[in-house]
Amino acid sequence: MHMADALLSPAVAATMYAATAVTVGTSVKTLRNDENLAKLPTMAVTSALVFAGQMINYTIPGTGSSGHLCGGMMLSALLGPQAGFLSMVVILTIQSLFFADGGLLALGANCWNMAFYGCFVGYYLLWKPIMGSKLFAKLGTKATGRAKIILACVLGCVVTLQLGAFSVVLETTVSGISELPFQAFVGIMQPIHLAIGLVEGLITSAVLVFVYEARPELVMDAPIGEAGLPSKCSLKTTLIILAVVVAIVGGGLSLAASSNPDGLEWSMFGNTEAGYSENMGLDEEHYGLSSGAAEIAGSIQEKTAFLPDYAFVNSESAAGTTVSGLVGSVLVGGAAALICVLGGFFRRRKATV
Amino acid sequence: MDKLPQAQSELREMDTLAAADSPVHRLHPICKLSVTLLYIVIVVSFPKYDLSGLTAMVLYPVIAYQMAGIPIRLCFRKLRYVLPLVCAVGLVNPFLDHTPFVTLGSFTVTGGIISMLTLLFKGCFSLMASFLLIATTSIDSICAALRKLHVPELLVTLLLLTYRYIGVMLEEVGIMSQSYRLRSPGQKGIHISAWGSFLGQLLLRSMDRAQELYSSMLLRGFRGEFFYAQGSPFGFGDAVFLLGWGIAFLCARRWNLPAVAGSIFVR
Amino acid sequence: MIQFKNVSFSYAPEHPVVENLSFSIQAGESVGLIGANGAGKSTIMKLMLGLLQGTGEISVGNIPVNRQNLSEIRKKVGFVLQDSDNQMFMPTVYQDMIFGPRNYGLSPEETERRVDKVLSRLGLMELKFRHNHKISGGEKRMAAIATILAMEPEVILMDEPSTALDPVNRRTVINTIRTLPQTKLIASHDLDMILDTCQRVILLSHGNIAADGDTKDILRNQSLLEKHRMELPLCFQRRV
Repeated sequence: MHMADALLSPAVAATMYAATAVTVGTSVKTLRNDENLAKLPTMAVTSALVFAGQMINYTIPGTGSSGHLCGGMMLSALLGPQAGFLSMVVILTIQSLFFADGGLLALGANCWNMAFYGCFVGYYLLWKPIMGSKLFAKLGTKATGRAKIILACVLGCVVTLQLGAFSVVLETTVSGISELPFQAFVGIMQPIHLAIGLVEGLITSAVLVFVYEARPELVMDAPIGEAGLPSKCSLKTTLIILAVVVAIVGGGLSLAASSNPDGLEWSMFGNTEAGYSENMGLDEEHYGLSSGAAEIAGSIQEKTAFLPDYAFVNSESAAGTTVSGLVGSVLVGGAAALICVLGGFFRRRKATV
Repeated sequence: MDKLPQAQSELREMDTLAAADSPVHRLHPICKLSVTLLYIVIVVSFPKYDLSGLTAMVLYPVIAYQMAGIPIRLCFRKLRYVLPLVCAVGLVNPFLDHTPFVTLGSFTVTGGIISMLTLLFKGCFSLMASFLLIATTSIDSICAALRKLHVPELLVTLLLLTYRYIGVMLEEVGIMSQSYRLRSPGQKGIHISAWGSFLGQLLLRSMDRAQELYSSMLLRGFRGEFFYAQGSPFGFGDAVFLLGWGIAFLCARRWNLPAVAGSIFVR
Repeated sequence: MIQFKNVSFSYAPEHPVVENLSFSIQAGESVGLIGANGAGKSTIMKLMLGLLQGTGEISVGNIPVNRQNLSEIRKKVGFVLQDSDNQMFMPTVYQDMIFGPRNYGLSPEETERRVDKVLSRLGLMELKFRHNHKISGGEKRMAAIATILAMEPEVILMDEPSTALDPVNRRTVINTIRTLPQTKLIASHDLDMILDTCQRVILLSHGNIAADGDTKDILRNQSLLEKHRMELPLCFQRRV
């Protein structure tokens, strides 16, 4: 989800930089007291570990593919939202500087898309309320904590990744980079990131549950107390049940997110239509006879003006698959061509050296 | 899990490059940072059909790489991070934008093809520039520059410390994943049963490490401030480099230099 | 130079880590601190540095170790950590070396002078601008000692200075320790190294002093060592 410099216009990049800078400023202000000086090494070591941990492949059972770790949610659960945000900013900066993962100009946008949502939205909207709630209270302290962590992580990662993916689409579209219509882009990005979010959430929760079992005081807002009753359902069962629940909830969310822009389009269309029928009404009142002609003209106008869009909206799923199929095949072709060209380039270079 | 050793070697390679000496290495970090940012902003600001104008911008990285003595091919390996999303976005343009642009024989180059190429070039160019920055500037100089630019102390200190411990952590995660792999033949990644404990173990150990680290800082009188090597001040050469390239970039953006050059030969 | 008087410390009241401990070390002495795992070696060092607070009286150079004197104590006492990666937290050796002196208010010029002095004395000049994650384990340990020497402490505490080093690096570290004129307190399981570097040994057992005396006397005493989960230094062992 790292955006490249090329996908942003300078204005959008600057706006996102400003938004990130303000968040960094307030976070630093919140953390600026001696008490938190002690937190600095913990922040550094944890974010270095998260950075390294992001390179591990986690096998997803039943599939051949693998998932990766989501940083923001985990860091804010361990360090709190402000410290987590700063740690994420640092991770993203190092990725962009040393690994060219996300550009220098796009850093502001990347921080916003991944760090802000993951840390602040994830923490205040999901983590804190869920950890503070009376959910699963019957299970006993430890099991309650565990269940809450899993729920908060999975929901948190799904929601924050959906927001992040939506922001990527929004930023690219506002930058005027892509010819890809907004809906199609959203239609591709949101479902992909739903799956990613789910897996990331599960991995994050697995790590946090482990930490919680060993040293509960390290996890923010987690219930601490005597080890409660032995949990009724094992971690694995809980994980699977939650995965199913979240798949359903997340699916709805993603659908809502991807239908939202359609709604926008629809309302725009509706307005124009309303304006048009107003005209028509006028026509009717004054020239009763020509109203038919007006109607025909109107329908022609409607067809020419909205037909492309209409067709796209109606057959969105079909168009979506065609577009993604095309993108996929072109991507493969592009990658192959690139490898050939680069290979040839290096060979020639070696030969001349 | 082959990403780990790769990341380690990439990190080491960047350090080695940055430790070398050349006119570009000797420039003031603020100068390099400004030129790089200006370059990227200008590259990105080219309109989507202005492919020919954009090509002139390739000159800065090509010249600067030569000045720094860094082979340009090194940065292309990093393209694998940048390309996927840029491609995903850029490669659909030819299918959606059929505005005819140029006809080469029977083949019509559409606006979509042009805008796709522009996008890819922008991606490559900005990558080349930021790679050059970090390949010629060490992390401590960058942090010192950021402090001079009034980036909050906490953030810069965190950047410095995190960078230092990334090497340590990559090693620890590498050792752990190796010991995991040795006992789990045929597995491509971490099995679900170890999802939590793998990183969790390391995390717990890291917390102890952080505690040790903090003691070590306190024992040497840490009060929230870090110190950087005193680099040479922003000199005349830095000003010339910054102004020269700045003007060159702005000219390239204002006038289509390749077209101007071409019009000399083509009538 | 160092005084411990009836010092006790515990994390939980039922398990005292250090109990009613008293000893003193003269200026310029080199003292080895030995004992099984969990005997309290590191705890004693941390108490001396004010990283842990126990009961009883501790003083270094006639300054009592308490909250008000912490910065003065820490200026006097340098601590070489077991894991050099934790000690060297800056990207380059140079930055690590200036960290302490600059924090204690030395001018940049004076700091620079000290850094060069220490590095050239230890023969580490070529490490100055090297990156901490790119130098070898042996170099890292030497550099960690250099960061402490740059603070010009009067007392040096070392926690396992010879572990995880190859024989040549270990020898280099030992030789370096031998040339340091400061008062030294070295905690280690490497009894051969203790034998080479210290005149006096304090043997700890469950937070108490089990033996305190001349290094050779204690390290030759097979039954005493075995009673405290140790064995004779390799150079005293009879080869079969």
